[in-house]
Amino acid sequence: MQAVYGLYSDPSRAQRAFDSLRAAGVEEHGIAVVSSVPWEEYEFARRDRRTPMAWLAALGGLLGGVSGYLLAGLTQKAYPIPTGGMAINVPWTNGIITYELTMLGAILVTLITLLISAHIPDWTPRVYDPAVADGCILVGVVNPRHDSRVEIERSLREAGADSIKEANVTNRWRI
Amino acid sequence: MEKSPNQITEDLLRPLLRTSPKYYFAVALLAAVVVVAFAAFGYQAYSGLGVSGLRRPVFWGFYITNFVFWIGISHAGTLISAILRLANATWRRPVTRCAEVITVFALSIGAMFPVIHLGRPWLAFWLIPYPSERQIWPNFRSPLVWDFFAINTYLIGSVAFLTLPILPDWALVRDKASGWRKRVYGFLSLGWRGTPRQWSRLESAMHIMAIVIIPVAVSVHTIVSWDFAMAPVPMWHSTIFGPYFVAGAIFSGIAALILAMACLRKFLHLEDYLKPLHFDNLGKLLLMMSLLWFYFVFAERLTTWYGNEPSEMAVFWTTQQGAYAPLFWTMVFCNFLLPFPILAIKRLRTITGTVIASTAVVAGMWLERFLIIVPSLSHKFLPYNWGTYRPTWVEITIMVGTFAGMALLYALFAKAVPIISIWELKLGLHEKSEVRSQETEGRGKLAFGGQEKLET
Amino acid sequence: MQRHDAPLDSGLSTLAILLLVTCHSSMVQTMESKAQKKWAMVVDLDRCTGCEACVVACHAENNIPTVGEEQAAMGRAMHWMRVERYYQGDFPNVRVKFIPVFCQQCDAAPCEPVCPTYASYHTAEGLNGQVYNRCIGTRYCANACPYNVRFFNFYNPVWEKPLHLQLNPDVSVREVGVMEKCTFCVQRIKAAEITAKADKRELKDGDVQPACAQSCPPKALVFGDLNDPTSEVSRLAGSNRATRLLEELGTKPKVIYLQRESWGDGKES
Repeated sequence: MQAVYGLYSDPSRAQRAFDSLRAAGVEEHGIAVVSSVPWEEYEFARRDRRTPMAWLAALGGLLGGVSGYLLAGLTQKAYPIPTGGMAINVPWTNGIITYELTMLGAILVTLITLLISAHIPDWTPRVYDPAVADGCILVGVVNPRHDSRVEIERSLREAGADSIKEANVTNRWRI
Repeated sequence: MEKSPNQITEDLLRPLLRTSPKYYFAVALLAAVVVVAFAAFGYQAYSGLGVSGLRRPVFWGFYITNFVFWIGISHAGTLISAILRLANATWRRPVTRCAEVITVFALSIGAMFPVIHLGRPWLAFWLIPYPSERQIWPNFRSPLVWDFFAINTYLIGSVAFLTLPILPDWALVRDKASGWRKRVYGFLSLGWRGTPRQWSRLESAMHIMAIVIIPVAVSVHTIVSWDFAMAPVPMWHSTIFGPYFVAGAIFSGIAALILAMACLRKFLHLEDYLKPLHFDNLGKLLLMMSLLWFYFVFAERLTTWYGNEPSEMAVFWTTQQGAYAPLFWTMVFCNFLLPFPILAIKRLRTITGTVIASTAVVAGMWLERFLIIVPSLSHKFLPYNWGTYRPTWVEITIMVGTFAGMALLYALFAKAVPIISIWELKLGLHEKSEVRSQETEGRGKLAFGGQEKLET
Repeated sequence: MQRHDAPLDSGLSTLAILLLVTCHSSMVQTMESKAQKKWAMVVDLDRCTGCEACVVACHAENNIPTVGEEQAAMGRAMHWMRVERYYQGDFPNVRVKFIPVFCQQCDAAPCEPVCPTYASYHTAEGLNGQVYNRCIGTRYCANACPYNVRFFNFYNPVWEKPLHLQLNPDVSVREVGVMEKCTFCVQRIKAAEITAKADKRELKDGDVQPACAQSCPPKALVFGDLNDPTSEVSRLAGSNRATRLLEELGTKPKVIYLQRESWGDGKES
C-alpha cells in the first residue's frame, strides 16, 4: 500500500497542510499525523481527544474494590479461623484490602485502556519517518484514491512541506 | 541559555550510545558487592537466621530497619513527581524521571527485606491468596498481608507511571540508534509513533495515574507504620505512626532524590539540565519536611513523656539518656539541626549545601527507623526479658549490598533509558517559545482557528 | 469505543472464577465448634520457691532444644516455661520474688491476628494454637506478645547424644525458622480426652496434668477447666488473691496468678 506524506518543521504549516487536505476532500480520519511532541495547541493534534478513560478507571476501581471486599470477606467467612478475639469479618481490615484493590483496579484498567486505545504494542510498519525524531511533523494520507493523488501532493507542498515523500506501508485499517 | 531540541536529543542520548571504561569498572564493582550480599543471604537461608544478630526479644533488627528505610526512600519518586505533575510545576520536567526510577528500584529492594528476614524465606509465596489443595490462605487481618497488597499495588502503579512516558523516548532512541540498539529499542518502544491519538491517551493515562498513585503511596507507608502500630509494644502502639511515617518517607525520599540528581549531574554531565534551580526548589521542599519531621518527633516524645506510662517511659529514657541516646541525638542532628540552617539560609542552599543536608537526612532517617524498632523491642513490658541487639556481618553485608544494588540498578537504567524525559523537555521548550511568540507577535494559540489560519 | 468492553468482560469472568474456586475449596471444610472446655492454669506465687523443676519438666516433655552456652548468653535460649526473678526492697532487706511465666493463652491474644499465614490461631478449646508447618517465620507474633513467651528456632535443633533418645514421640520436633511456645501440653490434653472417651466417661478435674504442674513440688501450679465451676482452678480463680499478668493490656489471659496483697506494691514489674 502507498502513503503520501509531507514533513513540516513548523507546526502551523502542518496545520495548514491538515486543513488543505480536508478542503481537498480527504476524510479527517484518513489523515495521518505523527509528531515527536504532543502539539496540543493545534487542531491537527486535537483529534481523538475524547476518551472515557477516566470513567473506565473509576469503573475499574469499583470492580477492584468489590473484588477486594469479596476476596477478603467471602474467603474468611467460608473458612472462619478465629484469631485474637476478633470477629471473623472485620470491616476495618477488609477495608484496607478493598482500598488497595480499588487502586489496583483503577491502575490496571487505565493501563489496559491506554494500550488498547492507543494501539500499543504494534510493531508492524506504519506511516512513519525517522525525521519525526528530529522534530518534524508528518502529515499525510495513506492509500489515497488515484484521482485525488495529485491534488493531495499539491496541498501538502503548498502548505510548506520541507519534503514530500512516498512510502510503502503495511496498512490494515489503522493509520 | 536555551538548548535547541536537537542539542537536547544529542546530550541526553549520549549516555545510551557511548560508554566509558570507567562505567564498566563501576558496574563490575557494584555487581561484585551485590553478589557478595546474595551469597550472604544464601548462607543465612542455608544455616538459619542464627547467623544474624537477632535474638529474643529483639526479633526484628537491621532487616526491618532497611525494609522501612527503602520503602521510605521509594516515596521520593512517584509521589513527588505525581504531585508536581498535578500542580503543573513546569520545573519538574528534568526531575520526574530520575525520581520515578528511585521509586521503582527502592520499592523492589525494600520489598525484598521482609523475605530476607523470614525464618523460612522459601515459603514467602504463602502470602499470595491462591486456591491450593493445602488450603493455605493469607490472614487478611494481619498487617503483613496488608503490606503485601499495598506494596504490590504501589509497585505495579509506579512501574507503569515510570514506563509509560519512556515509550516516546525509546522510540527516539530507535530512530537515532543503529545496529542491535535499533532492534532492541524498536521492540521496547512497542511501536510508538506519536500519533495525536497516542499522545492524548498517554496524557490522559498519566493524569489518571498521577491522581491514583498519590493515595496509594500514602497508604503504603501508612501500612508499613501499622506493622508496628498494630502491636501492643511500648511506643509502637500509637496513632501518630501513620502520618509520622509518611512524612518521614517523603523526607528521606526527597533527600535521596537530591543525592541521585547530584550524581547524575556530575557523572552524566547534565549541568545544563539539572540546574541549581532544581536543587533550590527541592531544597525548600526538604526544609519543609525537616520541620514537619521535627514537629512529629516533638509531638510523639512530648505525649509519651507527659503521659508517663511506665512501660513507655522505659523505652523513652533509653533513647533520651540510655544506651540508644547517642544514636537518637545523632538522628536529631542529622535530620534537623544540620539541614535546617543549611536549607533555610538562601546562600547555603546551593547544590553542595543541599547534597550535604541530604546525606545527613538519609543517614538520620535510617537511624530513625532503627530507633523506632530496636529500643521498643528490647524494652517490652516485663523487665526480666529486656535485651539488646547487635547486628552481625551477615546483616551488614546484605545492607551494604542493597545500597550497591540501588546504585547498580540506577547506573544500568541510566544506560538503557534517557534519564531525563526528552520529549517532555522539548515540550517545555515549545511551550516557552509559544508564550514568547504570543507576546511578541500577538499570535494566538491555534485552538480552534485552523481554518481561519489558512485563509489569512 | 466498543473495544473497551473486552478488558471488563475478562476481568469479570476472572473474578467469578476466582470466587467460585475459593468458595468451593473452602466450604467443604466445616469447623468443629463445640466449645466446651476452657483450659486455664493457676500459679500460686506464694507457694512458688523458684526451684525451676517446671522448666526442666517442660524441656523434657516438649522436645525443647537446648541451644548451648554461647547462644543462651546471646538471648536465644528457649524456655517455654521460665521463672522470672525480681528483687524487692533495699539491701540488706532484699526479698526475691519468683514469677513463672509461660504462654498466657490469652482470649484476646495480640499474637494471633498479626500472623499472615494463620500459623497462630485460636483453637475451639480456647488455646493459642501454633501450627509449625504453616509458620514462615516473620516473628511478628513474638513482637506482638507482651509476655515475651514466644521462641524462635534460629538454627535447626540438635540433641547431643544421648539426649536424642529421650525425645517425646507425642510432640513434633520443630525445624529451623519457625516459632514455638507453650501449648498447655496439648498432647496430654488430647491423650486424656482419648482415654476418657475409651472409658466412656467424662473428663474429670485433674485428669489433665501439664508437665510443669505435674512436677511442681510445692503444688504451685494447678491446671483445669474454667468452664467447670467445680474444678480446682475455678475455685482458685475466685480467690481474692487472684490477679492476671499485665491485665491492663486487655489480652484476657487464662493464666491466673495468686498473690498476697503485699506482693502488689507496684515494684515487681
